[in-house]
Amino acid sequence: MKINKKILISFLSCIISFLSFSEELLLKNAKIHTATERGTLENSDVLIRDGVILRIGKNLVSSRAKEKDLSGKVISPGFIAPQTQLGIVEIELVPETRDDRSDIYSAGLSIDSAFNASSTLIPYNLTGGITLSLTTPSSSGLFSGLTSVFSLSGSLEESLVISNIALSANISGGEDSMAAKILLLEDSLNLAAITDFGLSPFISKGEVQNTKSRNNQSNYYKIYESSLPEEVSYSARDLVALKKVVNREIPLVVKANRASHILALIDLAKRKNINLIIHGAKEGWRVSRQLAKAKIPVILQPIDNIPNSFNELGSRLDNAYLLNKSGVTILIGSHETHNAYLSRQGAGIAVSYGLPWEEALKGLTKNIADVFNLDKRGSIQPGYIADIVVWNGDPLEVTSFVEEVYLSGKAVPVRNRSMKLKDRYINQ
Amino acid sequence: MKKFLFMIFIGTFSFLTLSPEETKAFESTYEPNDSGDVFIEDARILTGTGKEILKGSILISSNKVKAIGESLSKPPGAKVIDANGKWVTPGIIDIHSHMGVYPAPSLRSSSDGNEATSPVTAHVWAEHSVWTQDPQMPLALKGGITTFHVLPGSANLIGGRGVTLKNIWSRTVQGMKFPGAPYTLKMACGENPKRVYGGRNSEPSTRMGNVAGYRKAWIRAQGYRNKLEEYKSKSEEAKELEYAPSRDLELETLVGVLEGEILIQNHCYRGEEMAIMLDIAKEFNYKVTAFHHAVEAYKVADILADNGVCAAMWADWWGFKHEAFDMVWENAAIVDQANSGTGCAIIHSDSAIGIQRLNQEAAKAMAAGNRAGFNILPSRAIKWITSNPAKALGIADKVGSLEAGKMADLVIWDGNPFSVYSKTEKVFVDGLLLYDKDNPSTPKATDFELGIINSQENRL
Repeated sequence: MKINKKILISFLSCIISFLSFSEELLLKNAKIHTATERGTLENSDVLIRDGVILRIGKNLVSSRAKEKDLSGKVISPGFIAPQTQLGIVEIELVPETRDDRSDIYSAGLSIDSAFNASSTLIPYNLTGGITLSLTTPSSSGLFSGLTSVFSLSGSLEESLVISNIALSANISGGEDSMAAKILLLEDSLNLAAITDFGLSPFISKGEVQNTKSRNNQSNYYKIYESSLPEEVSYSARDLVALKKVVNREIPLVVKANRASHILALIDLAKRKNINLIIHGAKEGWRVSRQLAKAKIPVILQPIDNIPNSFNELGSRLDNAYLLNKSGVTILIGSHETHNAYLSRQGAGIAVSYGLPWEEALKGLTKNIADVFNLDKRGSIQPGYIADIVVWNGDPLEVTSFVEEVYLSGKAVPVRNRSMKLKDRYINQ
Repeated sequence: MKKFLFMIFIGTFSFLTLSPEETKAFESTYEPNDSGDVFIEDARILTGTGKEILKGSILISSNKVKAIGESLSKPPGAKVIDANGKWVTPGIIDIHSHMGVYPAPSLRSSSDGNEATSPVTAHVWAEHSVWTQDPQMPLALKGGITTFHVLPGSANLIGGRGVTLKNIWSRTVQGMKFPGAPYTLKMACGENPKRVYGGRNSEPSTRMGNVAGYRKAWIRAQGYRNKLEEYKSKSEEAKELEYAPSRDLELETLVGVLEGEILIQNHCYRGEEMAIMLDIAKEFNYKVTAFHHAVEAYKVADILADNGVCAAMWADWWGFKHEAFDMVWENAAIVDQANSGTGCAIIHSDSAIGIQRLNQEAAKAMAAGNRAGFNILPSRAIKWITSNPAKALGIADKVGSLEAGKMADLVIWDGNPFSVYSKTEKVFVDGLLLYDKDNPSTPKATDFELGIINSQENRL
């Protein structure tokens, strides 16, 4: 009897919350780029309930929904910025505004506590159509640190969406042999694989007081640390991050451009059985068959075709097209954080060099969500979170602008500091 | 007697080398082959003069535009290009490039853009650093760039002479030099010089140190000019008895500015710094031709228009430095529209990526302006990357617009150049087809690109 009463109460409270709190929004008569297999729908509607997309189609009705006519407008999913420093860098040449680098931690650097939801870059890039950022540290060593996902809502308390979803590494640059870096990558993964933290606080709480506490670790750690070169040392926190890669809990994102380096990484990923994502991949087109076969996605900056080093001599503007044609999943980013939203210009350029338009859109949205396991994000379909951007035209066209942004179904202001400066001076 | 003759010889020789226009070193050797007659018909033409011809033709004859209009007749024997459905613009001009002095690949051994060893290096010339085989140049040609201006970097207050180049393959920099283009002088405001020298605990370490540095340099230049004039004004007899002032490479360049022969290209982000630089120009009676990277030009757009100074800007770069923090998308439009549309706006790249699509950068700036309430047409916005940079480089009488008598530098686009999807189809420099999308052996690969990835092929 008692149990039944509980069920009844929870059932009633469900109804009450449904009646009193459920909010509906109906966006009508827009051109909808779904970033799904349904492609683009002309003159269609999206019904949103409680921040989630309920239905998409023509002539939708709902007695409870607030309606918004978007005739002549274009809707896309909010764009996702892969591998940016949004929220952790304000001015590149002002070190005290940067929280994207560390000499203390390497793989274990989680930047969540430094994320500044009030950074001017956030409303600015929201104005450019970005709704989610995969914010990633950029330390200069082999491992840059951990990526976390943030909403560009500007909310001090609710910006973090998912913490520590990927580990970034960089084998380019510096003067050490590339071979040494790939060996160190492998040795580091090996060390993490055999390190047993037992009941240590690093696993149970996911927290560490300071790097010196490694002395308290198990003997395993001490023994196997000596298997690394002398100048390399990892804190327990670093090893925990590496262990997540070894256990396939998170992917390893490695910056690499030369075809032969990409092949070496594909081989490593296969041997170590890890999830690998290649970032950069300027010569990816030369090994597109191997990338496709190994199901390894690539993050591209399609606008950058400069053969800037001897490791990227094969840079070319149709890289995205060639990779996509071979069946490689492509994710499209910008080469600069301040204008992370210009990933859409890069996508447009990739289209002008042969990439199908719908694939370019997926590269900015759905593919990023899929590859990084961002649940219910990155496309416009029922059950998905309503992060939606309204444009005055083709979202990939440089002359188009964002008119409205909805985060979880709520309209947010499309305003930034730059606009206020413009307003002050335009009619002086 | 012998001594007397020797004095005459020395005197005459020194006198000849004093005047910059008589300095014949490093002259352009560029001479294009005869293009013959080329007739481009049925194109939509943005002329670069502010006009648009919806369906028109262009006749090129012996490297020059011979005629442009709606109803030109096809001369017999001309090579005819059907441009129906295509757009034609003047060749694109980038007023701010470091191609050749900061080439790709980016290596210490060929990074030759900043003589960052002293805050005033007016004696260095960017052309002496140019690597003509920089693979960035043919990429820019594919983006429609027919002329580009190479500057020294911005580490120094006065960084040295810039040079205007034709975007053609050549073994020598003299072979690329734009015939008859005036020299320019690079100056830099703000953070860079004070960071470079302040970081070494030497002057300048502040913005006021920067300004003192410019003024001290101009005072020295005035002194040198007085010395030259004093000598020049002497009687022939007096000259025979006295050595001419010895040449000073640094001060020769600065005097060239005071004489109006060398154009100031001034890297300057902040509005208040631009206003101060204009006052320095008044103090020493020279002209600032253009401010580059003028992120805050919109704050002083009317002052720039009043002084007849151009602002060269990006469409949207910002935030990499504190002085680049106040960017607005409408910057170029506000400069363009200042004082009833008398402003001079230029979109520049300073980037090997950006230079490949200045048309898109101009498109973004135009669209932002129009959204803010201006009515800027493509026929006007195209000037930001053609005739306005030509004006600021002192070559507007030769290039930058499609008018009879001008160099036949032009681009045929496969669509509206103010779109991300449009690409160049054909790029002509002096009437010669240097890029043709249907001819894979164009643009001509640089030496660097031969067999560099695999021995059988060129880079791309």
